[in-house]
Amino acid sequence: MSFLARTLKPATALARVSRLSARFYASEAAAAPTAGKLVVNFALPHAAVLKGVEVNQVDMSAVSGDLGILADHVPTIEQLKPGVIDIIADSGSTKYFVSGGFAIMNPNSVLNINAIEAFKLEDIDPQAVAANLAESQRLASSAKDEATKEAAVVEIELYEAIQNAFSAKSK
Amino acid sequence: MSFAWRAAGMNYLQYSSIAARALRRVAKTELQAEIAKREGLAVKYAKWDSGKAGVSAIVPNVETRPKADN
Repeated sequence: MSFLARTLKPATALARVSRLSARFYASEAAAAPTAGKLVVNFALPHAAVLKGVEVNQVDMSAVSGDLGILADHVPTIEQLKPGVIDIIADSGSTKYFVSGGFAIMNPNSVLNINAIEAFKLEDIDPQAVAANLAESQRLASSAKDEATKEAAVVEIELYEAIQNAFSAKSK
Repeated sequence: MSFAWRAAGMNYLQYSSIAARALRRVAKTELQAEIAKREGLAVKYAKWDSGKAGVSAIVPNVETRPKADN
């Protein structure tokens, strides 16, 4: 029996060596971006808005403040506020309004943005925003428990952010 | 830095879904059919101890609009 154990050992040693050289993260397989450019992966639970797209700059609204991310930005993880993400490429700028989420800047100039919901400003109905803002304000003042009131405050923040985005666009 | 919603007893899952639902409500009507497919999803969780799952519960939604009576 012991000679069986001895013959088994070399096989597992080889297996261990090949696993050490295996790639563990899919991001390592991705091509490095050209100098001065960011690669953006923008994903929602139901769709990949952008995947491996090279851009120049991404502006976003984070809890720690508004920031613009360029290539070689210091790696950071930012929690996003409901607000506009502006993706600036050579072909122009595209704006998405996100409900929140996270932006993760990697050392290799790959920016991953995760959000639950995102719409282009032209896909949002301004009258619906005004009506829902009024409804949320009404709820915030009349709510009896803390959780509902805070939920209404979250909605007010989101709807006001949309209205700011609309008025900034028209300037 | 503590968030007001966390002080009110909400967790991030509830907060992010409140914001997501609020945004879905104001998308244009053409998109609402597709959006309806995304509603009604919930997160289920169970606390594990010594390799055994505890009671599983669903993270409750904090509702801000009255339910439509159909």
